Amino acid sequence: MFDRDAWLEVAHNVLAHPLRTTLTGISVALGIFILVVMQGLGYGLQNGVEGQFADDAVNSIWVEGGRTQLAYRGHQPNRPIKLTNADVAGLTTQADTVPASSRRIRLWGAEIVWENPNGENRGGGFGVRGVDPAHIDLERSVLLSGRYINGRDVTESRKVAVVGPNIVRDLFRDVDPLGAFIRINAVVFQVVGTFEDPGSRWENRVAYIPFSTAQQLYRTDGGVDQVLYSTGDMATDATVAQSDRMRSWLKDVKAVHPDDSRGVEVDNNNEEYAMYASIFDGIRLFIWGIGLMTLLAGAVGVANILAIGVKERTKEIGVRKALGATNGSIVSLVVMESTVLMLVSGSLGLMLAVGLLTTVAPLADHEYFQNPQVDHRIALFALVVLVLVGLASGLGPALRAVAIRPVEALRDE
Amino acid sequence: MIDLLGITKTYTTGAQSLQVLKGVDLAVETGELVAIMGSSGSGKSTLLNILGLLDGYDEGMYRLDGKNMAQLTERRAAELRREMLGFVFQSFNLIGFKSAAENVALPLYYQKVPRKERLRRSHELLERVGLLEWADHLPSQMSGGQKQRVAIARALAAQPRVILADEPTGALDSTTSEEVMVLLKELNGDGMTMVVVTHEAEIAAECQRTIRLRDGLVETGAHV
Ligand SMILES: Nc1ncnc2c1ncn2[C@@H]1O[C@H](COP(=O)(O)OP(=O)(O)O)[C@@H](O)[C@H]1O
Ligand SMILES: [Mg+2]
Repeated sequence: MFDRDAWLEVAHNVLAHPLRTTLTGISVALGIFILVVMQGLGYGLQNGVEGQFADDAVNSIWVEGGRTQLAYRGHQPNRPIKLTNADVAGLTTQADTVPASSRRIRLWGAEIVWENPNGENRGGGFGVRGVDPAHIDLERSVLLSGRYINGRDVTESRKVAVVGPNIVRDLFRDVDPLGAFIRINAVVFQVVGTFEDPGSRWENRVAYIPFSTAQQLYRTDGGVDQVLYSTGDMATDATVAQSDRMRSWLKDVKAVHPDDSRGVEVDNNNEEYAMYASIFDGIRLFIWGIGLMTLLAGAVGVANILAIGVKERTKEIGVRKALGATNGSIVSLVVMESTVLMLVSGSLGLMLAVGLLTTVAPLADHEYFQNPQVDHRIALFALVVLVLVGLASGLGPALRAVAIRPVEALRDE
Repeated sequence: MIDLLGITKTYTTGAQSLQVLKGVDLAVETGELVAIMGSSGSGKSTLLNILGLLDGYDEGMYRLDGKNMAQLTERRAAELRREMLGFVFQSFNLIGFKSAAENVALPLYYQKVPRKERLRRSHELLERVGLLEWADHLPSQMSGGQKQRVAIARALAAQPRVILADEPTGALDSTTSEEVMVLLKELNGDGMTMVVVTHEAEIAAECQRTIRLRDGLVETGAHV
């Protein structure tokens, strides 16, 4: 393996025909380049789309009322459907298990004001949500300071709030908001925590308050805007069955036509996520397909120039055999040459691809395309594939070299 | 050193078959310098290839240094070539991108002699054939006579028991032919057994004995 003479010969053979070697090398380099770059871009796309899912827990089902489209059981169409505490209790009985859940009340444009120590009012329009404690996981919020809404807040309908980074920035600036009193639509709340939501710009403009407090203040009819159910580690199929069951149960209770797609909304994030996941499996397969095809074309090129080389060197190989060369030494000469060709040109393609991706990555910042990167395992795998393909492409020509009979190679005519 | 008894060889190309050797008997003693003569196409090269274990034979018996050469595997044949035989060809067959010294060292490479030792011995051999100062030259920088002397040094490198030369002067003019024959005779004088195929009477005349091939049989000179 570390035989200096063998390597010198490989170097000589590779360099003896620069044009031929370069062209083949380019096709191999291109194969790896395309494979790795496309993989990186696919990664970027996947990161972008997964960023979209970072907003909410992937394993969750979201239920809310809508507006009917079809007349049913004596009701006119265009009727708003409102959920109640009783509906929520009923829905919950339709679930296989409820590892966590949260009701939600949403106010889109509440006025939130903080009177600072100088007696100066700072305020703005923000969102407000009444939530249960488990909401933090379902919305994938990250607590930054203090605490989140807890069980006692809800049972005692306390007037406490957990505020998002935009509220902190606009109202408090450098002041620590913990313990401060703010007015939400003129009702006084105490700030007990701050959070951020990396997956959603909107959610960062929101203040969370206990569900019961919100219902008493803003839904005096006992309405519930939304219910969120975690599905834990249930299989996707089971969650789909559960969300289907919830949907038909709710439609029945609310007198919504079974074919009405707008009356109630039961969104299963599991399902959506599984769909995206399968799309990405497809994309990945496609990328591998193209990359491996190009690589294969490169390998065929390498096998070809080796075959030509072996043919050109028929006489030389005959001489070597006459001088006592074993078949093994002839095979290793050819296979070493192919492996060196594949490895050198492949590594070049790999380096170019990594270079391109690392320079482009910081520039890429689109909602659906973020942080394209080279998976190190893929780069490593590509190198292993290169060596294997190099060995394989050298094998055919090597066997041809072995088959050369010295008498025929040496005949003087 | 070499004993052949009733060796036959038939080439079959497609539907045609041509029996080139029809029962060759001959013997070469250790230390002899023997010429094999015959007209073109009489089977001289075929015979030499069989002696050199580069080709097989159909019937008969071949004993080299007392050992029967029947049914050799390729691996065993390569091994015997490496240990027992040195070849000299009409067209030299040096490897073009290797220097004279590296060409001479090649058989030692296949004997797994360490590189340093290989190059030392190849320089000694080049000195023996009078080409030491050409050690680092490529074959393309040398004359035909010089190339053949490098080839002879290469044939000697593995310290063979027999040197087989197929028309070693076939591509050379008469002066350089004479130089090569002088060298071969000197080596024979040192005790090397040699078989030289030629169709030139002057070359054969410099050998101790001439084996004449005709119509696939040995006409004269089969034994000492
Ligand atoms: N591999 C082969 N296949 C078919 N015919 C061959 C082959 N090698 C040699 N011959 C034929 O055998 C005969 C003897 O060839 P060769 O031994 O080379 O003769 P010489 O060396 O005496 O000129 C020639 O007629 C040649 O055409
Ligand atoms: Mg001949």
